[in-house]
Amino acid sequence: MRFAFLCRDRPSPTGRKVAVIGAGPAGLSATGYLVCQGHEVHVYDKLPEPGGLMLFGIPEFRIPIYRVREGYEELREVFGVTFHTGTKVTFGERKDEGDEFVKETVDFNEIREQFDAVLIATGTWRSWIASIEGTDLEGVYPALEYLFRIKSAKLGHMSWNSIPPVQGKHVMVIGAGHTAVDAALESVLLGAEKVYLSYRRTIHEAPAGAYEINLLKQKGVRWLELTVPARIIGENGKVVAVELQRCKLGEPDESGRRRPIPIEGSNFQIDVDYVIFAIGQTPTPPFSEDVGIATDRKGRIVVDMRHMTSVEGVFAAGDVVTGPSKVGKAVLDGLNAAESMHIWLEGGE
Amino acid sequence: MAKRVYHVDYNLCIGCETCQSVCSFIHHGKSNIQIYYTVTGIPIPIACRHCERAPCMNVCPAGAIFKDNEGAVIIDTKKCIGCLMCLAVCPFGVPRYDIKLKAVTKCDMCADRRELGMAPACSEMCPAEAIFFGKPEEVEESIRRRTAEKIARERISGLNLEGTGMLL
Repeated sequence: MRFAFLCRDRPSPTGRKVAVIGAGPAGLSATGYLVCQGHEVHVYDKLPEPGGLMLFGIPEFRIPIYRVREGYEELREVFGVTFHTGTKVTFGERKDEGDEFVKETVDFNEIREQFDAVLIATGTWRSWIASIEGTDLEGVYPALEYLFRIKSAKLGHMSWNSIPPVQGKHVMVIGAGHTAVDAALESVLLGAEKVYLSYRRTIHEAPAGAYEINLLKQKGVRWLELTVPARIIGENGKVVAVELQRCKLGEPDESGRRRPIPIEGSNFQIDVDYVIFAIGQTPTPPFSEDVGIATDRKGRIVVDMRHMTSVEGVFAAGDVVTGPSKVGKAVLDGLNAAESMHIWLEGGE
Repeated sequence: MAKRVYHVDYNLCIGCETCQSVCSFIHHGKSNIQIYYTVTGIPIPIACRHCERAPCMNVCPAGAIFKDNEGAVIIDTKKCIGCLMCLAVCPFGVPRYDIKLKAVTKCDMCADRRELGMAPACSEMCPAEAIFFGKPEEVEESIRRRTAEKIARERISGLNLEGTGMLL
């Protein structure tokens, strides 16, 4: 990926310094735009390598690892971008998925003082976990952490021993979006004996689409539609089974999809060793206390038409603004934000 | 200059929409490559394929469609009369009527970028490497390499993985 696709060579420097927090698709595309305008860019990321979910979440058979690596290497070698990896920018204490590699923490307000402009592109690194009994048992994973560990081992940042040993085991993935599909597929590839996919609606409502679900079924994944986990059953602190409740579809909800209604007394159990929750993620801005940057009730950073937050000179882009989306949407948001930053830095609106 | 091919591979597309984003970013919000989803959710990117024997070029009554020295099929919007015959014969439904220009437009394989020695923006940014640009033999070589990987993956995932460890 040539993030600096807008130019061929490095232009003469403007002398302005920009910090980009988060090296995912939004942050790297914005970096590409800004270096093509001659700004000096420093990119901060808590992971040991730039790339964000393109490297640490999405399976290799979808996005080849070398594509992302060539991209950020060009930014570093040709365009002089400084990458601060393993560095978490934060204000206030908070644990998120993917924090395993943090070697250093930098105060958010310090960054603000050091740079002429700041872009927040930290994405959505916290997975929802259902509020049911047994989610604290050993063997329960948020999908992002599960995928993140698998990709970290493939990338050489973690040993294979850090991956949940699902080989020969039974795995249940909850959800039917792209993350759920990827978690199920990776489980199959790791040699899990049985992989279940539980979804509270039907295949027709599955966010990943019927085609992806059918592909999984062909690979032996057991598709349990119209089911919702009621509780996770453990023994000696470890997962041994999941109790599912059957659902029926009722009236449409605010999303326009028919609402799943659990059926009383329809509970049944399935023996599993691992439960992976892929039921959505929430934004993870680099602050957990009030720094004057407004967020909405879903935790998304609020920005104006210029992609600027409620603090002058601090911009935001990507999933941390829009909520979980797609690589391409994050790329466009990053480019648009970078364009606004450039105009602002040059003294315009 | 030598012939260049621009190839969008439908099997490698993951539907992330990066191509659409970068194309619309450099074309004032109008992308010349667009992803469509089938009812079962399969993403299909639709873009000009710059055909060797382009039906649009043959049918255009105004002679507004020509090929440049690298083989890109290009519409001269000044000559275009807006009859949409090109759209009628295009096997991929690509040509698009632009209300402001009062002419048909489409992908020009990033003509201005190629002049500066750069590849089309979508091919440079596609994370899945599903968009290829280059000399025909180079493009074909990389497609075969990717296909070989895919065949291997299908074969491995069809086998019982017991005892093979975490080779994948």
